Amino acid sequence: MKLTRTALLLTALFSTVASLPVMAADIKIGVTEALTGGAAQYGVPIRNGFQLAADEINAKGGVNGNKIQLVIEDEQGKKEEGINVFKKLIFQDKVLMIFGPTLSNSMFAAGPVANAAKTVAFGTSNTANGITDIGPYIFRNSVMESDVLPVTVATAVKHYKVKQVAVIYGNDDAFTKSGYDVFKKVLEEQKIPVTTTETYVKGDVDFKAQLTKIKGTNPDAVVCSCLAEEAANIMLQARGLGIKAPFIGGNGFNSPKLFEISKLAGEGTFVGSPWSNANPAPANKNFVAAYQKKYGGEPNQFAAQAYDAMYVAAAALKDVKLSGDLAADREALKNALPKVSIEGATGPFKFRPAKTKDGKPGGWDADQKPFIYQVQGGKFTLYTGK
Amino acid sequence: MEWFNDFWSTYSTLVFTVGVHMLLALSIWLTLSCGLLSLANAAFMGIGAYVSALLTLNAGWAFPTVLLAGGIAPALVALVIGAPVLRLSGVYLAMATLAFGEVVRITVLNLDITGGPEGLNGIPLATEGWHIALLLLLAFYGLARLRRSKVGRAFEAIKEDEIAARLMGINVNRYKLLAFVLGGFIAGIAGALNAHFTFFISPREYGFEPAVDILTMAVLGGTGSLVGPALGAGILTLLPELLRFLHDFRSLVNGAVLVLVVLFLPKGIWEPRRIRAFFRKGGQA
Repeated sequence: MKLTRTALLLTALFSTVASLPVMAADIKIGVTEALTGGAAQYGVPIRNGFQLAADEINAKGGVNGNKIQLVIEDEQGKKEEGINVFKKLIFQDKVLMIFGPTLSNSMFAAGPVANAAKTVAFGTSNTANGITDIGPYIFRNSVMESDVLPVTVATAVKHYKVKQVAVIYGNDDAFTKSGYDVFKKVLEEQKIPVTTTETYVKGDVDFKAQLTKIKGTNPDAVVCSCLAEEAANIMLQARGLGIKAPFIGGNGFNSPKLFEISKLAGEGTFVGSPWSNANPAPANKNFVAAYQKKYGGEPNQFAAQAYDAMYVAAAALKDVKLSGDLAADREALKNALPKVSIEGATGPFKFRPAKTKDGKPGGWDADQKPFIYQVQGGKFTLYTGK
Repeated sequence: MEWFNDFWSTYSTLVFTVGVHMLLALSIWLTLSCGLLSLANAAFMGIGAYVSALLTLNAGWAFPTVLLAGGIAPALVALVIGAPVLRLSGVYLAMATLAFGEVVRITVLNLDITGGPEGLNGIPLATEGWHIALLLLLAFYGLARLRRSKVGRAFEAIKEDEIAARLMGINVNRYKLLAFVLGGFIAGIAGALNAHFTFFISPREYGFEPAVDILTMAVLGGTGSLVGPALGAGILTLLPELLRFLHDFRSLVNGAVLVLVVLFLPKGIWEPRRIRAFFRKGGQA
């Protein structure tokens, strides 16, 4: 009796020891996001998206039998922190690849570190121009404004029969300024005259001066490259002044909260987004349901892109034979990633090589079509072009 | 040696940042030692960073000349604005220098050559460890010599009592301007060094928050000597990294440590008199 128990104990012990090498074959993936500070509003949903996808993949037995292990670090949305975390993940934790960081600024600082160390850095929320100029190890599945806005503008122009527009944007913020630059180019290309271009700075609450000027020029639509905080006030004050023209928004409008706050003022607004809550594809339905179950809140675009990015990496890893030699494995992953194409929560996805300014080989951008929404009854409704 | 290589590849940027922050803390120590509460150092750092980065990117100057230009540019600006601004004292000077910082930030935001709010990216890596170490050593040596010189005594006299100093024949305005310009020079070099190992600079890195951070470093370490600011800079830079294992509680503990230091060591961590007293009493006090 006693002997059997000892034997049992021994087998248990041995099996734990035997399972250790399996643990060692875990695939370590770094996640660098802003989890505290101002950018945490983006970083936290992104982390949730990665965690959700990794848990799902692991629950199904991992990739080729290897479990995915996430090493999550906070970069606080600061460039020095971004570099420090990248170096820690690459040289100390010896991860296979890194997701993040959250802000384009941090990627500009940390990306070169990963590229020099020949390790893939995969951004899911970096929309700035020039990110993938850093080098061939830089990937992103975030859709650039220059891919979204032409479609948004063209759709809105067709729907409202727009002949001329007014523009308002925040000129001291990297995000709204680069959005404006794209809008300007798109409006020129589509030959839509701009009646007036107005600016504000972050933190402004009174936009009546700019809006009065806009009203005087009588535009058919107001193009707004603004963050959600200012956009709500702009829309409310525009209606207060009697501007009836609908709004056309940039990526900053992608916030369900915005249209809760602005109530009917935002009615009819056109917004483009790489992800739609209402997308009926099964991958997206699964994602939305699983996210709500796990985190008890609505997912957003950033969570969806992170979720998809993890599946993109998993698909690439399926084709990589892990040799245990870190440098070789990192290289193999970098070569496997561009071949991936998946049907994700954000729709069909594949990479396209980035066009760099100086003609050197760059990284890989997202090749994806945006969804166009129209706001109806204070909610985003997928525009189908009835 | 291998553990060192591992350590260096992971933490070199952190060590660089400590060095740059030490330079910044020393730059504000210089004005503080002259009794000036100036908060323009972040702006001077920004000017240094932008001037040096633009010279590297557009003119292709050699790194040492770029560094020198990064120091001289803010020193010249300090020379120009110093004359009117330094007539103010105390809180009013702090307000005026903060306003100057805003002017610099908004100018950079609205220029095309600086990349506006999107900043400058793709700055090549040029800063090496020994650059920072050497410049830090030079700054230490220079400032230590300065303290013991006629100029240092004059700073001290102005700090203790400006009117008395004036009566003793010290040209108060000239010495104040000297402290302000030298501080700008050191901060500018720190900015130039920083720009050449972080690949990217943007206007928001040189606004109100860093201005206060620089002051905090000097005050936390103690402004009575040169060691204090350097120590404060080291602690404020390393603490968040050392607390990384606390994950979500990191910022909380970081803040708590600062509050405790300010409550119990109001003259800063490095206070020679208290430390000497501590050892004399055999660890009793």
